[in-house]
Amino acid sequence: MSNGAFPKIADPTLEPELIRRCYQSMITSRVLESKLSSLYKAGKIVGGVYLGTGQEAISGSLGVLLKRGRDIFSPLIRDQAGRIAFEEDLLDATRTYLGSAQGPMRGRDGNVHRGRPLEGMPAMISHLGVGLSLVTGMLLARRLKGALTGVVGGTSVGDGATSTGSFHEGLNMAAVEKLPLVVVVADNQFAYSTPRERQFACKSLLERAAGYGVSGFEVDGTDFIACLQTVKQAVDSARAGGGPQLVVARLLRLCGHGEHDDASYVPPELRDSNLGRDCLEVARAQLLDMGMVTESEISAWQDEATERVQEAVAIAQKERGPDPYQEDWRATSTSGMQS
Amino acid sequence: MPQVPIIMPQLGESIAEARIVRLNISVGDFVKGDQEIIEVETNKATMAVTTLCGGVITEIRAAEGVDYAVGTLLGVLEATEEEIERTGAPTMGPEEKTPIKDEGGDEENLHFRTSDQSYEEPKLVEPSIKGLPVPAGMKGANYISPRMRARMDDLGLRGADISAIVGSGAGGRVTVNDLESFLEYVEEWPHSSASSMRLSVADAMRRSWTRPLASVGLPVPLDQVLEYRSRQTPKPGLTLYVLRAFAIALSEEPATAGFLIGEKIVHPRAYDIGVAVQVEDGVMVPVLRDVDKMSVSELAVRYAELVSLARERKLPSEDAQGGIATVTNFGTFGLKWGTPIPLPNETLILGLAAGIKTPKWSDEVGAFIPVTETELCLTFDHRVVDGGGAGMLLQRVGQLLQTPENL
Amino acid sequence: MSLTYIDAIHQAQAELLRDDDSVFLYGQDIGAFGGAFKATKGLKEIYPERVLDAPISEDAMIGLSVGAAIEGMKPIIEMQFADFSSVAFNQLVNQAGTHYYRTGVPVPITVRMPCGGTPGSGPFHSQMIESLYGHYPGLVVVTPATVSDAYHLLKQSVNLPDPVIFCEHKFLYRWLKSEKIEETNLPLSKARIVRSGKHATVVTYSAMVHEAVRAAEKLEKEGWEIEVVDLRSIKPLDTDCVISSVARTGRLLALGESFPWGGVTAEVVSRVVAEGFHLLDAPPMRLNAKDTPIPYHPDLWAAHRPTPESIIQKLRELLSL
Repeated sequence: MSNGAFPKIADPTLEPELIRRCYQSMITSRVLESKLSSLYKAGKIVGGVYLGTGQEAISGSLGVLLKRGRDIFSPLIRDQAGRIAFEEDLLDATRTYLGSAQGPMRGRDGNVHRGRPLEGMPAMISHLGVGLSLVTGMLLARRLKGALTGVVGGTSVGDGATSTGSFHEGLNMAAVEKLPLVVVVADNQFAYSTPRERQFACKSLLERAAGYGVSGFEVDGTDFIACLQTVKQAVDSARAGGGPQLVVARLLRLCGHGEHDDASYVPPELRDSNLGRDCLEVARAQLLDMGMVTESEISAWQDEATERVQEAVAIAQKERGPDPYQEDWRATSTSGMQS
Repeated sequence: MPQVPIIMPQLGESIAEARIVRLNISVGDFVKGDQEIIEVETNKATMAVTTLCGGVITEIRAAEGVDYAVGTLLGVLEATEEEIERTGAPTMGPEEKTPIKDEGGDEENLHFRTSDQSYEEPKLVEPSIKGLPVPAGMKGANYISPRMRARMDDLGLRGADISAIVGSGAGGRVTVNDLESFLEYVEEWPHSSASSMRLSVADAMRRSWTRPLASVGLPVPLDQVLEYRSRQTPKPGLTLYVLRAFAIALSEEPATAGFLIGEKIVHPRAYDIGVAVQVEDGVMVPVLRDVDKMSVSELAVRYAELVSLARERKLPSEDAQGGIATVTNFGTFGLKWGTPIPLPNETLILGLAAGIKTPKWSDEVGAFIPVTETELCLTFDHRVVDGGGAGMLLQRVGQLLQTPENL
Repeated sequence: MSLTYIDAIHQAQAELLRDDDSVFLYGQDIGAFGGAFKATKGLKEIYPERVLDAPISEDAMIGLSVGAAIEGMKPIIEMQFADFSSVAFNQLVNQAGTHYYRTGVPVPITVRMPCGGTPGSGPFHSQMIESLYGHYPGLVVVTPATVSDAYHLLKQSVNLPDPVIFCEHKFLYRWLKSEKIEETNLPLSKARIVRSGKHATVVTYSAMVHEAVRAAEKLEKEGWEIEVVDLRSIKPLDTDCVISSVARTGRLLALGESFPWGGVTAEVVSRVVAEGFHLLDAPPMRLNAKDTPIPYHPDLWAAHRPTPESIIQKLRELLSL
């Protein structure tokens, strides 16, 4: 872990409150994910637990810069920080992971496959890259309804998803329609266990932007302030009518693909490189340095997060799962469409 | 205090079991929530089992170096009510000290699934039925479609009931329309209800009639046996002498009484032979056991018992089962010949006609002399027996009847 | 004045755009060009913002429609040829098909699928896809056979809050004409008896309805009365109508233009055997296209799909049992 140089100048366009809120979301995310991992290892969560350790800065930046109720945020697998920053209720997470019938997915889907589509947060499916066209469609609808002004749609993918046809079709389509789509690519070096050199041949995924005719940004994903600055630039540009934006964040996933995976395929020298820095620690140092938070504030945020997480887990854990005998087993909203 | 289970978690989508590498706890240890207490190893990775809440370890059921199935109860920790409320951790039932079952955890607890250690692939089994069944034709007079069958079931009809109907369907099969018009046609005729005895005889005869049955007859003199019988006290019935002779003749040629199943002739296990007894509105067939090994006088006692039970309709069902052939004496009705039908599970039935005194030319005496003669009538399944075999069988029965003292 | 099947589709879309601001059309070449089959001709001029050309991105077209539907729109997607929906398969079955069940939010998209064979169209412009999508939960699959149904079922599909795969048969586009659009508006879930008879039932849908009727007309001259059931939608499948027809005739031929392995005809036979075995006077039969890709040459093509002649042959076999 290196505490290399990072910008110490506070960006005048970044409101301190936004920075603080983002950092707090990152802390809460880390605490929640650590608890989810523990519940998995105690046999309480089935299926899998997928963490965003090391990706909180870039995810949180996108989430915090989008406004719930106005913007659209289509998170992917490692976006717990972004979800919290976008004001997703912690209960949505714990209920979905623990299979509570009262969660937004009611036990019909689990873990990271959750959302509230009517509140601008679609529920991801496992197939990668499909979120780009989905958000494009949501933005197109806003435009057709005359309600696009000031709206941005953000979505995240990893480097692996950029290899799919869906990613290409979606980004190209958004570019053709010049819609305010912000795509954040967390280039986290591995798609499950496959290293990026087996995923794509260009030097940086940033090069792709020009091909699609969209604006491109590249950022050190471990550098909290840089992430916020870059994503803000992209979001502002989209909001101002600049069309789709591609943000590539270089970082390292600091956990396995899921909690069943010990990531033994990651070489130690990569962990020790700048890419392996923990963005949370970088953020902490940056904020303390800028005098934006105090040690005791951080400690209080940490305690608050622990308490909120514990409460969300306790509530969800005490709730019943779905009852197969009460389930309506209907896949369409209209009755009589299944026979 | 509430007990919280420590179980083997599902550490990966295809993981069925994991090995315990190290136990970091002992009974009596205080643990915190989310503490990593057991190191486990799957074929994919090494990881830790954590606690669901804080408390005291009260039981450890697992050992290092051993594989445990996902969901296995590895141990128990005791927590305070407050801790349970705070964490929402699942418990093993309020204040119960012994809810733990052997292996596999607590089935009562909704939160935990148990799974079997592993699933052994079953060995391949031989099919119980080999070869293809005979293909059923879907046209022709014998074919009854599901639709026709359903209508017949509605009306309680069997295949034989519709034999009177000329079919207008494909290959002459009877259609539902044919059936309906026939039923309309007979609607106005006088009718009565068939008794259950009648229906069961009808059913047996219908089943039997699915086979190619043929009948032959042989005149046999009865004077010897009648003379011998008149000297016995009590006098056994003539039927019993025929029965006995029949059994001996069959035991000499067992295949004659066999029945055909596929490519096999199934031979008799014992010479148990039935005797048809006329009862009200039907026929019953009590079976006499091991007729080849018993004398006529021995048979007479058992026979009297069975006939009287049959007439009173009290014949136990086991006494009406297992025969290999039947003897029927329709001579008591004065009939000179008949073509009786064997039971569906038997290949042969031997009919005994009336003994009639007739003049026969005797070369010895040089004149007509009176001879009491009967007709032995045999009906057989022609798939199993031919006319020649049937004739020889009758000849042998007739021959045995000429030495009644040996019967 | 007479109206073709494609006219009916055009008219339904024009009216839907006129009457409902939440309806928009999205597809390849559907704007100024008016669509590969002219189903959207002139509509771009009237509704420039709601008739949009799409890039050749079938996957993203469906993704976009689901997103727009979440936001309250009723998109009509024109898949230029149903064959190309294979590229969008993932978005259709995993995104659109699962959305209501997973999230409780229905997505009212209608995907127009120009399907079925025309002479010379070959393997990639002739396929039937209804059996494929009928297999997946969460999708409604509509297969109109008449001009009026093309009109009414399209309107019903767009107004249904769930995803609809709307299979419009290319052969019928200009071949099928009607004096007017019938006013009777049978619900989407109901099948219709096209032709009544008492000797055998043909259950079919889409263009095969007309082939079945032609076969029935020829057999009528020999005294056979064939009943023809037009399913109208294959999911939901109106089992009651099928069973009641078989109850009248005792014989079933399930007829479809799609490939023979599994599919709608197998489903029809399975339902009739399971629920109406006692109604059958003969083993139920199926007739489908052949189990090869759809051939290019018109002579091969004509022999690949069921024709009145092959239907008659199959019916004779069925009636002889």
